[in-house]
Amino acid sequence: MKPMIGAALLLALAGSTMAQQTDGVFPFDSRLIELENGFKAYLIRAGAPGQVAYVSMVRTGSRDEVEPGKSGFAHFFEHMMFRGTDKYPDYDGVTAEMGAARNAFTSNDMTVYYLVASADYLERIIDLESDRFMNLKYAEPDFRTEAGAVLGEYQQSATTPFGFLNEKVRETAFDRHTYRHTTIGFEADVRAMPEGFAYSQSFHRRFYRPENIVLVIAGDVDFDATAALIRQYYGGWSPGYSAPDIPVEPPQRAPRRRTVQYKGRTLPVLSINYKAPAWSATNKQAVAMEVLGEVAFGSNSDIYKRLVINERKVQFLSGNFGLSRDPGLASVTAMVIDPTGVGVVERDIQQTVDRFKTEIVDETRLNDTKRNLKYGFLMGLETAQNVAFATIPYVINTGGIEAVDTYYRTLDSVTPEDVRTAARTYLIDNAKTVVTMVQAGGN
Amino acid sequence: MRRLLSILASLMLLTSCVPQPKSTITVREADSPFIAFNVWVKVGSQNDPAGKEGLAALTAALLEDGSTTEDSYDAILAKLYPMAAGYGSSVDKEMTVFTGRVHRDNLDDYYTLFKNALLTPAFAEADFERIKTQTLNFLERTRRYGRDEELSKELLFSLAYRGTPYEHPEEGYVESVRSITLDDVREFYAAHYLSNNMVVGLAGGYPDGFAETVRGDFDALPQGSLTPVSASAGIVPNGVRVLIVEKSTDATAISLGFPIDLVRGESDFFPMMVFNSWFGEHRNSFSHLYQVIREARGMNYGDYSYIEAFPLGYTTQVPPVNAARRSHLFEIWIRPVSLTSPGNLHDRALFATRAAWRELDRIVTDGMSDSAVIATKQFLHNYSVNWATSVSRRLAYAMDDAFYGIRGDGFLASVRPGLASVDAAAVNAAIRRHLQDENMYAVFITADAEGLKQKLLSGVPTPITYAGQKSAEHMAEDEAIASFPIPVAPENITIIGIDEVFERK
Repeated sequence: MKPMIGAALLLALAGSTMAQQTDGVFPFDSRLIELENGFKAYLIRAGAPGQVAYVSMVRTGSRDEVEPGKSGFAHFFEHMMFRGTDKYPDYDGVTAEMGAARNAFTSNDMTVYYLVASADYLERIIDLESDRFMNLKYAEPDFRTEAGAVLGEYQQSATTPFGFLNEKVRETAFDRHTYRHTTIGFEADVRAMPEGFAYSQSFHRRFYRPENIVLVIAGDVDFDATAALIRQYYGGWSPGYSAPDIPVEPPQRAPRRRTVQYKGRTLPVLSINYKAPAWSATNKQAVAMEVLGEVAFGSNSDIYKRLVINERKVQFLSGNFGLSRDPGLASVTAMVIDPTGVGVVERDIQQTVDRFKTEIVDETRLNDTKRNLKYGFLMGLETAQNVAFATIPYVINTGGIEAVDTYYRTLDSVTPEDVRTAARTYLIDNAKTVVTMVQAGGN
Repeated sequence: MRRLLSILASLMLLTSCVPQPKSTITVREADSPFIAFNVWVKVGSQNDPAGKEGLAALTAALLEDGSTTEDSYDAILAKLYPMAAGYGSSVDKEMTVFTGRVHRDNLDDYYTLFKNALLTPAFAEADFERIKTQTLNFLERTRRYGRDEELSKELLFSLAYRGTPYEHPEEGYVESVRSITLDDVREFYAAHYLSNNMVVGLAGGYPDGFAETVRGDFDALPQGSLTPVSASAGIVPNGVRVLIVEKSTDATAISLGFPIDLVRGESDFFPMMVFNSWFGEHRNSFSHLYQVIREARGMNYGDYSYIEAFPLGYTTQVPPVNAARRSHLFEIWIRPVSLTSPGNLHDRALFATRAAWRELDRIVTDGMSDSAVIATKQFLHNYSVNWATSVSRRLAYAMDDAFYGIRGDGFLASVRPGLASVDAAAVNAAIRRHLQDENMYAVFITADAEGLKQKLLSGVPTPITYAGQKSAEHMAEDEAIASFPIPVAPENITIIGIDEVFERK
C-alpha cells in the first residue's frame, strides 16, 4: 500500500493539467537548450526519480526519399545507426551494460531513436548518442549484411492484408509526392539496398545534422547540469542540413478508384481516402479536420454505431484523419462482412460525408470529442518515455514542443461551423481515392 | 549512486505493495491521477468444454464489448468516449483478466460502466452475433494470413500440449467456435464468474474506502464451487517432431521448443532467467541468437528465446503480464527468413534453424562463462526496472504474484536480490537440469512444404551466401552450421495446409 514515489510525482503533474487550461495543456516544467549550430534539446522534468527517457527525433523519414530507387532508405539507415563508432565500436555492448531499453522507429516524417535508462548514466548516454549522430562508422560488409535484416522485415509485413493495402492506396492516391511509397519501401528498392553503401554515407551527411534533429530528455533531469553536458557534447557538431526538394503533389482533378486482389484470405476492405491539409497547430481548418475524423467516423459516431454495432455490416470502421507534415491522406477504412455489400457500405460512408458537409455537428458531440482528445493526451503522460513520446508529433511537425499548448488552444476554439467547413473543403469527390481490397479468386 | 539507490528504493517500494493472497489486491499510489483496475477471474481456456474451445475467450469478449442491463453497447461507448477511457479483457490458458484505466476526474462514471460490464451483462443476442462473427473472421482469415510468426508459436504450443487442456489456442478452433451458442456463454459465465473465483485489483490514486466498495460490489455475485483443472504438463517429444504448414509466402516463420518444468518462484528461475537473457533476450540485441543470426549474418529481423509464455511478442518489448501458467515451454523464436533471397530454396530457413539449434547444443554442452553471467546480471539488474513503469503494469505483476503464490515483496522486488545470488555454477546446473537439444518440436510456415521436408530428411548441408565479404573464421563457422545435424524420421514430419490450421481439434 506504500506509494511508488517516482510514479506518483510524475502522475501528480499529469493530474494537474485539466485544471490549468488557461496555462496550457502540457503540465511539466521544461527548458529549451539551443546551440549555435542549430541543435535544440528540450529537458522535461517529468518525475520518475532516477530514470530518463532520451529521445532523439530526426525530422527525416520516408518523406525525404526523393531519389528514384531509394525508397525505404530512411528506415534502413535507422538500422545502421546501431553499428557503432570509433569511440564506441560496440553500441549494443555499451547500452546492455546500462541495461537500457532502447530502440528506434521510422515513419513517413520521422526517424526516432530512444533510450530509457537510469539517470545515473545520463552523461554517458549523452556522450554515446552525440557520438553516433556525429561520427557513425560502419564497414561496407556490415552494411550489406544489415540489408538482409531489412528484407526480412519487409517480408514479414508486406504480405499481410493491410501491408498490401497500404502500398496500393499510396501508389494510387499520389502521383509525385514521396508519400506515394511506404516507409519500408518498394520491394525492388529493398532488394537493391546492399548496393547503396556510398548513398548511405551521403544520407548521413545530409540529414543527420544538428539543425534537423531535436533531442527530448524527459524524467529525472537536472536542467543546469544537463544543459552544460548538451553544450559540451553536441556543441562541436557541424551544421550542414540540406533539405531535400520534396515534390509537391499536384491537385487531384478527378476521383480515383481501384480494386486490388489480395492473394490470401480476407474479407473485402474498403479504403476511402481524401487529400488532406498539412498538420498545423494554428490552422483551425487543419485541426477541425482532425476533429471531423473523430466525430464523423470515430467510435462514438453515428455511422460506427449503425454499421458496426447495430446492423453489423462491417467488422470494423475507422477514420484516420491524423495529419502529416506535408498534405497527406484522411482515410476511412471498413472491413465489410458480406462481400456483396461493399457498395452499400460505400454509399453509407458517402451519405455521412454529405451530411457533415450540410449539417452542423451537435455541440455536445463536438465537446465530447474535444474532451476525448485532451484526456487521450493526458492519459498518455504516465511514464518518462511516454511523456517524451507525447511530444513527437509536435517536434516533428514544428521543430519544438511549444506547439503542444498552441494545438490545444486551437482545438478549444474549433466550432461546429469549422467542422462543416473542413468537410466542405476537403471531403470532395475530386480529391477522393477509393481502393477496395478483395480476395483473389473471390470469397 | 544516489540515483541508482533511488531507483532501487522506488523498486522496493513498488513491490512492497504486497500481493495479498486474498480477494482484493491493491497497489495504492495516492498522488496518482490515474486509477487502474485489474479483475482476475480464475478461469481460462483450459476450462473450455470439449467441443466448445474458445468459450472462455468469447465470454470475456462479450462482457468487454457488449451491452449491460443498464446500457446498450453503443450507449456505453458514448459514455466512455469523453473520458478517452475503455476497458479490455484477456484470456490466457489459466487466467481471464479485465483491465481498465481512467483519470481520477472520471472515476465514478467510469467505475459504474466497468462494474456493470462484469456484474450485469445483458447477453444480448445482437452483441453475441457481432462478436462471434468477428472471432470467426479472426480464426479463418486473420490468424492464418496475418503474422506467420505468431501462428508458428501457437502451433508450437499446441504440439507440446497435445491431449491436455492447454492444447487449443485461447480463441478456439473454427469448428468449435461455430458451435458456441449464447446459452453456452450464459452458462459459462454463471459457472465461473463467482465472487469467490474473482480477485479484484486496484492501483493508483483511488480514494479512501474505494477498494472496499469495489470488493463489496463484486461480492454481490453468487458464490459457488468449482472443480480445479489439473495442471497441464507439456509432453517432451521422443526425438524431433516437425510440423510444416504449407502457405504461399515469401518468408519462412520458424518456432522451436519443448516443455520445461520451471515456473516463477522456483530456485532455478533466476539462474534460468540469466541464461535466457543472455541466449535470447526478447527483442533485444543483447540476445546471443540475435547476434549470431541477425547481427553477424543479416538473415532476419531478430531471434529470441523464452522460458515463460510470451504471447503477442511482436507487439511489445516488455514481458507480458497476466499470462501466468503452471507449465511453460523453452521456446526459440526465429523471425521470418526470406525464401526469395539468392540460394537454393529453403537453405536459408534451414541454416537459421541449424544456427539456433547449434547454439543451444553448444550452451547445453559448454555452459555459460563467468564473464557472460556477470555481464548478463549487470544487464538485467538495470533492464528489469523497465518492466513496470505504469500503475497498470505494477498491478498486473501483483496479480501474477498472487497466481504464482509469491509472497513477501513480490516478484519484481525479488529480481535484483535473486540475480545477485546467481553465479555461473548455478546457471550451468540449471541449464543441465532444464535444457537439452535432442527432443524438440519444430514448426515451419513456408511455401513448398514438401521440398522443405525432403531437404530436412536428406540432411544435406544448407549453406548461405552473402552480399559482402566475410572473414575466413566466419565462413568456417558457417560450414559447421550448414551441416549441423537435425535428426528426424519421415513419420515425424507432418504437413498441413494453411486453411486447415486450427480448423478443428
